[in-house]
Amino acid sequence: MRLQFIIIVPFLLLILMAIFLPATSAHAVSKSYKRTVEKYNIPDIALVNQDGKKVRLQSLLTGDSPVVVDFIYGTCTTICPVLSAGFVNLQGKLAVTSQKARLVSITIDPENDTPKVLKEYLKRYHAKPGWDFLTGSRTDIDIVMRAFNAYIPDKMSHYPLNMIRSPKDGSWIRLFGIMSSREFMEEYQSAIVKQ
Amino acid sequence: MKHHYSTVRITFLISVLIVLLFFLTVTSLFAAAPLPQAEIMRLGERMYREGILPSGTPMPAFIRGDIEVDSRSFSCSSCHLRAGLGSFEGGVVTPPTTGNKLYKPYRRPPSLGDKSDQAGRFIYAKTVLERPAYTRESLATAMRFGTDPSGQTFNDVMPRYPLSDHDMYILISYLEELSSKPSPGANSGEFKFATIISDDVNQEDRQTLLMPLEKFIAQKNQQMGMYNDFIKFGYTPTADMQFAFRKASLDIWELRGPPETWKEQLTTYQNNNPVFAVLGGISNLDWRPIHDFCEAERLPCLFPITDFPVVSETGWYTYYFNKGYAQEGEAVASYLNRLETLPIRTTILQIIQDSPVGKTLASGFQNSWNELGRPAVITKTLTTNELRNKATLGKLLKKYKPGVLLLWTDAELLTNLPKLISQLSDPKMVFVSSGYLGNKTSTIVEASRNKVYITFPFRLTPYVGPKTGGFDAKVPILTGSKDFGDRRIASRSTTMLQQATLQGLNLIYDNLQRDHLFDVMSMQMDVVVRDYERLSFGSGQRYVSKGCYIIQLGPGVEPTLLPKSGWVIH
Ligand code: HEC
Repeated sequence: MRLQFIIIVPFLLLILMAIFLPATSAHAVSKSYKRTVEKYNIPDIALVNQDGKKVRLQSLLTGDSPVVVDFIYGTCTTICPVLSAGFVNLQGKLAVTSQKARLVSITIDPENDTPKVLKEYLKRYHAKPGWDFLTGSRTDIDIVMRAFNAYIPDKMSHYPLNMIRSPKDGSWIRLFGIMSSREFMEEYQSAIVKQ
Repeated sequence: MKHHYSTVRITFLISVLIVLLFFLTVTSLFAAAPLPQAEIMRLGERMYREGILPSGTPMPAFIRGDIEVDSRSFSCSSCHLRAGLGSFEGGVVTPPTTGNKLYKPYRRPPSLGDKSDQAGRFIYAKTVLERPAYTRESLATAMRFGTDPSGQTFNDVMPRYPLSDHDMYILISYLEELSSKPSPGANSGEFKFATIISDDVNQEDRQTLLMPLEKFIAQKNQQMGMYNDFIKFGYTPTADMQFAFRKASLDIWELRGPPETWKEQLTTYQNNNPVFAVLGGISNLDWRPIHDFCEAERLPCLFPITDFPVVSETGWYTYYFNKGYAQEGEAVASYLNRLETLPIRTTILQIIQDSPVGKTLASGFQNSWNELGRPAVITKTLTTNELRNKATLGKLLKKYKPGVLLLWTDAELLTNLPKLISQLSDPKMVFVSSGYLGNKTSTIVEASRNKVYITFPFRLTPYVGPKTGGFDAKVPILTGSKDFGDRRIASRSTTMLQQATLQGLNLIYDNLQRDHLFDVMSMQMDVVVRDYERLSFGSGQRYVSKGCYIIQLGPGVEPTLLPKSGWVIH
């Protein structure tokens, strides 16, 4: 009995902390990522999605709804799970308020990432429609990476990057680094309400 | 905004409550779970690799603060890798998570990541340079709340795992055993290797395989001697050097008789003198019995020379150059799938010579074709005798009037090609395998060459050796028709040895675990080699050359090879 009580104490404290955690405290912490606003020229090329369908990148990325882009690959170990968890989370949050966004992951390992690999990856993350994963020829993938100023010569030296396109003026918020889900959501909101 | 913050707090609250609930229901902290050791290891491995709790449900985790994830999407082994010795990827340093390393104080070697912002890039090194040793209790805290024994909080990459005491006990017991002992066949001073040769391999091929291997072993041992002298004269070796010099031995595992008996022979070899890894090998028969043996023994087999590898998405312990004949068949499926000029109603007739090669080419094509969601093609399997009879094929062509003919047959049929093509309907395309036709490929009659599409799973662009070495460094090597039928045994075995040593054995340092060798090899950058355009790696990727060209022949007796496709076709 007593032992149990002693064990519980720290948890009670934690609960109290959680309840009274000042809503703004996180702002005091310096940001763990870098943010810039950019203009990109999306190349007019065709990539292949998880269903094996050819898609034109320009029309996919320049619609009326917000777009979030990242560069990942099917067998990536550390940062792709983190980025993809962010996508899943965003999809869930947006679904609650029935907002629409287009999430686009582009592979940086086009040789291994066949449509089948892409499809299985999305399934593993319980992705909902609206999140596409694209592959293509190495030449085309290189063109896309360059267009986003994100050319990665070798997939093993990639880095965490998210780009959010504002449908209002077509500008992109470029987020370099791993951020908390709250920060990511804030950035997303700021992109879509932008004037 | 306001709404958003409160969701964060509620999620956090709920996770704390979940943990609390477990503490209330499970009274004993770390009392032995009433399970046999083997069962604990099995359950622990499943948590670690597959993200599934002992109860069979997915293991919950929280990442980047408050995102709840299902660990079947990614588990400990995604980041800490199978051997648990960690990784460096995407600027993130994932530290080891084995009992051996955790229960000792840790001082991270200084790294680039010490600066959090490198030339405008953030590097997520372990936040702490130094920490005291973990205990079982502090380890549980680390996984639940993300703090190390000195109270430092981990970065957002490491998830938090609200596990019950029972499940935590199992996971920690697993971590304690993980990579705790060197694998058989290796110790700090020596590696034992074997290579495998089956008795269908001719003397010449056998010698070609063994020459670079034996030279490699001799070199290793000679270097070892030099290294010892070096130390005798009072030089202090650097840490890397210690691990680059080890004695090495090579056993030749000869397989005799029918493949059904190979498993038993392999078991005897391995029991008599266990080896750390199998360096290459060669067989003209199906590699499956060897593949299965290596899976069962968890024995690495590095880049054997085989045209019949096991094509599997879950195989772990054999690295293959490519999928062999299956890859040629796959390339044809992808090529036809993308051929926009092909009328939709074109009839495709597939002729299979009833041989292992014919059948493997066809299954590669068919599996891919099905995956692409295409309707089945007309398929006829014919014995060699039936194929030699010109009338048999003529009848089939008359009956089906195919526009595309897949001819998975040997070179005997080549003289008959003009006749066959004349019987096709438009677009009159014939697909053949350069692997099956061998050096006869270049004898395809000139008049037919623009109708014949040939699979070619090797490099076409000039190969320029590494800048730093080798006498072939400056002269680009060009692939030509003379290379049809080349078995590429010597060059590929050399590639295998470079892979095994430079990218593997030298980098595992004193962590002599076979799983670690695979983890290290799978995290390497792409390499350009003589026989393939590119080898690429990645966790779980086991066929390192992904490409296969579809080519046609130019005119003449030494025709140029004209690519009709890219190296990889999607
Ligand atoms: C998405 C990647 C990822 C996953 C999944 C993951 N980890 Fe980690 N882990 C990390 C990173 C990165 C660190 C280093 C964090 C830091 O130092 O700030 C870490 C740190 C740790 C540490 C502390 C090591 C030390 O020396 O202090 C332990 C223990 C650990 N992880 C165990 C686990 C276990 C067990 C699992 C599965 C239940 C797991 N991790 C899942 C990435 C991951």
